[in-house]
Amino acid sequence: MNVDLTAEALAYGREASRALEAAGGENLIQFSERTEALRDVKVAPVLAGLGAWDLTPRTDPDDLEAAAALCRSAGYWCVPYPVAERLARPTDLAADGLVVVRGAFPATAPSTTTSAPTAPPGAALPAAAVSGIELRWSAVTLDGQRAMVVAQTPQGPPRTAAFVATLDLAPVDDNGADDVALALVLPCWTLLGMLDRAIDLTRAYVREREQFGQPLAAFQSVQFQLTDAVVERDGTEMLAKYALWSIQTGSPDALHDALALRMAAIEAAEITFRVAHQLHGAIGFCDEMPLSWLSRYSQPLRRLPLGLSATRAALTARIGRRGLTGLFNE
Amino acid sequence: MGPGVTELRAELRQLVTGHVPPDFLGAFTDDPADLAVAQRFCRTLADRGLLCLAWPEEFGGRGASAWEQTAVREEMWAHHEPRGAQYMGVNWVGPTIMRHGTPEQQRRHLPPIARGEVIWCQGFSEPDSGSDLASLRTTATPDGDGYLINGQKIWTSYAQMAQWCFLLARTAKGEKKQHGLTIFLVPMSAPGIEVRPIRSLMGPHHLNEVFLSDVRVTEADVLGPVDQGWRVVQEVLSFERVGIARYARCERLLLAAPRVLGDQWETLPDELRGRWARMLTHCRRARLLAYRVIALQSAGTVTPGDAAAYRIAVTRLDQESAEVLMEIAGQASPAAPDYAWFRGEAGDHWRYSQASTVASGSIEMQRILLARALLRAS
Repeated sequence: MNVDLTAEALAYGREASRALEAAGGENLIQFSERTEALRDVKVAPVLAGLGAWDLTPRTDPDDLEAAAALCRSAGYWCVPYPVAERLARPTDLAADGLVVVRGAFPATAPSTTTSAPTAPPGAALPAAAVSGIELRWSAVTLDGQRAMVVAQTPQGPPRTAAFVATLDLAPVDDNGADDVALALVLPCWTLLGMLDRAIDLTRAYVREREQFGQPLAAFQSVQFQLTDAVVERDGTEMLAKYALWSIQTGSPDALHDALALRMAAIEAAEITFRVAHQLHGAIGFCDEMPLSWLSRYSQPLRRLPLGLSATRAALTARIGRRGLTGLFNE
Repeated sequence: MGPGVTELRAELRQLVTGHVPPDFLGAFTDDPADLAVAQRFCRTLADRGLLCLAWPEEFGGRGASAWEQTAVREEMWAHHEPRGAQYMGVNWVGPTIMRHGTPEQQRRHLPPIARGEVIWCQGFSEPDSGSDLASLRTTATPDGDGYLINGQKIWTSYAQMAQWCFLLARTAKGEKKQHGLTIFLVPMSAPGIEVRPIRSLMGPHHLNEVFLSDVRVTEADVLGPVDQGWRVVQEVLSFERVGIARYARCERLLLAAPRVLGDQWETLPDELRGRWARMLTHCRRARLLAYRVIALQSAGTVTPGDAAAYRIAVTRLDQESAEVLMEIAGQASPAAPDYAWFRGEAGDHWRYSQASTVASGSIEMQRILLARALLRAS
């Protein structure tokens, strides 16, 4: 059983990490928050230079692993760009990227643009963190309904909106069932990279910061909080690899595995960011610390298209009485 | 894992179905028939070369791969460890004797383990030495051509039924408490050994106190170098790094729940079914963390931190899934055909799970190991 990405994918991830760091690392998000246009101008060329858009993760298993590694590196540096969403683009639509949205679209016959789906009044509208990236975006529901989408102007500056925009939908077809899993899994790899970074930052901080004459790392209560975060991160990593393998092998369970990953990843993010903030103390909220940026820009990944409870409900409904595939299915 | 593993798993399941009653809850219940089932099952496995399949061929094993051993661990634990207490002899007492035993000790001890005829217990913990094992105070003092052992062991699983004890005792007082410890292979029939069962949550035949009063052993009963037993114990613990495949039983019972409840499943609160789905996800997570340790171990790059992360995840899974299973069992209709079976399983799982974060290295020790690996200066 291979529980790690291929050596080539890992090497590609490292190369991507170096390139993103050289391009500014965590400064990229800071620039982009001040001047939203920089998001596209500064980041897109680096990713193009890495050959990111030449990857074909839906058809090539090696590219799929490389795409996962790239998303993880992008998450690590909190790269303000929808990398996973672009890599998840469908193969049979003229689209440059794909996002999963909640709910259901109206009947798919007319291809006119509607500004709202059939959501009941007051329900949340479909949204994604793609504002300002002028590309051909598509969306898919968990049931495989697809639409071409146009992002509206976000309601608020990046600092509060985190580049999330409501989407105008032009329904296309109901043929996207096979598109969903990858579009759920790759953003989880981005989130995994954010957890890596949050843990690295916290580990460095507790070793350096001294109170009562010793580093925080010497206190067992501090150590144990950090181990909780690491167990969550490591477990998420295993499920992320499993979900990737499920897609690679064309498993009929790929969507279940993706939802199981997403549920665990969101929970891991809750725990990890809580620990990271607690152990950083007040300094962790300050914008001079990368944690402050990482924490708030992790929000869209954790809430969209479904938060923890909604993801769990979707998983529970879909696995039915059979449960997740494991060692003892009957 | 490969086709060999799939076949092995199928063979083990067939043997369990054929030789272990469906309501078997382990070898250590009030019913002596359960112990007899386990003893027979070990011989059945031994006859087919499956008991010690991980052992090297020179000692009668098959040199099975790490993944085949994993399948054995999973299948056995999922079905209430029908090898009973003998897994200890197979998993680590035997391998330790292979590495550190004299040829005579190997001739004496390995064949009975391989034939499934002998039960070993482990004399490590003492009333004042739990997680801090090296502080133990049972002494072995030289006396003629051997030693006299005096002291008390506690939490000794299987001591009532064991023929041999893998015992750690102090032979010298060194500067460091880890120095001066020696391993003895002690026959439980030796005069001066008294076993007192401790009635517990886990049933009457699991935990024991062992009192040792002037127990005489010979130099031939010493395993490995005198005063250097701590090193051997560390090695023993590393054989057991992955430890029990607790996730396997959790998963088997969780997946059985909807079958037992039938259409009643749909009437359970959504929240409970959500917790069930979450536990299945955590079963997978723990299983994959175990596989990571095994893969790293095979590559020779495993750290105590990797194993600790798995053990933290799996022991917490054990307890959380026990709560979910108990709640589902509590909602099940007594009219369901497998109701009694499921109630029995859930109750047993809950009782045993209470000890999972305590036994074989508490969760706190695992956290310390993981923190140490993380915070070590890089």
